[in-house]
Amino acid sequence: MRKPFLLTVVVCSIILFTSLSYAETFVCLSCHSAIKGKLKTDKGIVDLHIDEERFSRSVHGGIECTICHKSFRENPHEQPKGDVPRKTIEMANLISSKATIDPVAMAACNDCHSEIFSSLLNSIHGKNIIDKKQKDGAFCIDCHGSPHYITNASSKESPVNKWRVVNTCGNCHEKEEISKKYNLGTHIIEKYNESFHGKKHILGHPGAPTCVDCHGYHDIKKWDDPMSPVSWERRVETCGKCHKGANKKFVTAITHKPIGRDNPIPYYAEKGLIVLTLSVFAFVVGHVLLEAFSEIRDRVFRKGKEDE
Amino acid sequence: MSEIKEYLRFNIVFRIQHVILFVTFLLLAFTGWSLKYPEPVLEHAGWWIRMWGGPKTAGLIHRIAGVTMLLDFLWHVLYLAYLLLTGRMKIRANTTIIPLPKDVLDLIQNMLYFFGLSRTKPKFGRFSYIHKFDYWAVFWGMGIIGLSGLALAFPTKAAYVFPEWSVNWIWELVAILHSDEALLAIVFILFWHFYNEHLKWDKFPMSMTWITGKISMEQLKHEHPLEYELEFGKAEGEKK
Repeated sequence: MRKPFLLTVVVCSIILFTSLSYAETFVCLSCHSAIKGKLKTDKGIVDLHIDEERFSRSVHGGIECTICHKSFRENPHEQPKGDVPRKTIEMANLISSKATIDPVAMAACNDCHSEIFSSLLNSIHGKNIIDKKQKDGAFCIDCHGSPHYITNASSKESPVNKWRVVNTCGNCHEKEEISKKYNLGTHIIEKYNESFHGKKHILGHPGAPTCVDCHGYHDIKKWDDPMSPVSWERRVETCGKCHKGANKKFVTAITHKPIGRDNPIPYYAEKGLIVLTLSVFAFVVGHVLLEAFSEIRDRVFRKGKEDE
Repeated sequence: MSEIKEYLRFNIVFRIQHVILFVTFLLLAFTGWSLKYPEPVLEHAGWWIRMWGGPKTAGLIHRIAGVTMLLDFLWHVLYLAYLLLTGRMKIRANTTIIPLPKDVLDLIQNMLYFFGLSRTKPKFGRFSYIHKFDYWAVFWGMGIIGLSGLALAFPTKAAYVFPEWSVNWIWELVAILHSDEALLAIVFILFWHFYNEHLKWDKFPMSMTWITGKISMEQLKHEHPLEYELEFGKAEGEKK
């Protein structure tokens, strides 16, 4: 008789305990995990759906919604208790060109990840947003994906893991309009994939570097910025991380530039080799076929008669 | 002379050099192929590279095979120099591997024969133009693929050797040379060497000469009449 009673108490207290600590999240998700739609506002499209299962598996699965969603601008919601800290509002104003829908929630990354956040602000990606007020500079979620589903950078699903990060950079850097707008090289990802680094990476070589291994990530700088690890000032040191004894003549090897007429020796060497290969191929195959036919002719029609 | 049934074409040293050459060649071609065409789209890079122990092991096999091949090549050149300097080998028009004007005439004659415009096949010495092409192609490959391969395998060392004015194009150049010439070598061996030494009517599935080093007297008379004449006189050839 006493056992079921004890069990009930234990179960009830577990439910009570968990529901207390997740009270708010639980309330939010009761609607947002069920809503499947997207909402069009004058600022952009807001996805209202939260995949509860993926959210709970993410690194942020344990924290409450209002930790980041500190305020709702125009809304069907009741404002969370307490004012938004001034620091967050300032940050939100700073990055408002990027975060059109909810700059406060975007600025909230800073609350926990302040060190990474400040190096991002100093990066070429961050400065593009803050100084140039551009919409297409990469910010946290552009590389890491939705904060609701962020997993550890080494996990399989993470868009910044070793095997997916090249694609993630390519989301922007493969686009011609981005290359044109910011005067960046074209075909960068393509050239990387054709390089020995890229080919090894595609084949799954654990030591093959991806974009971030040479260029850096949160505090990424433009390549000609002396602070960039791939600038001429620092390149010897950067290449030297893997290639011991790298010198100034070594570090010119990787450029991610398509071979064009501006670099005539490899350009015409490649063209010449194609001609050479094709002509050797044509000669070899032609000769072999002719010889084979003549042998068949000799055996079948000339009955193996020896030539005189 | 009828008691001699076979004729020694390649001594044991040449046979060993040939075995090392083709084993390393195959290893290099197989491991290098997955780096030349690594696109997983082809659905072949995945299992192919795993067959060679993954990219790291395949890279190691490629480097070891490459260095072995170059050493084999070096051995071959030094051995030839030794044979020539001690007089064990003499350069004679009908036995040399060196290309001569006659080879061009032979090629033209052979073409005429193929097209049925002539009833006579060209008469070859120890090495026909087909053999010479096969042989010198390896030299070309050793120089271009071997040197560029060394630069790619030891890039930081190569950087000390490359002159200052070359550094803006030499890296692209060695990569292009290595991979394009390797493809050419594979295509060449696949068609030229495989047809002439494996697929030919009387050789299929392969000529055994690479193991025994010998060819039959019949074959010598038939395929290398000029060498036969040189060694055994014209008598029998004329009798016919």
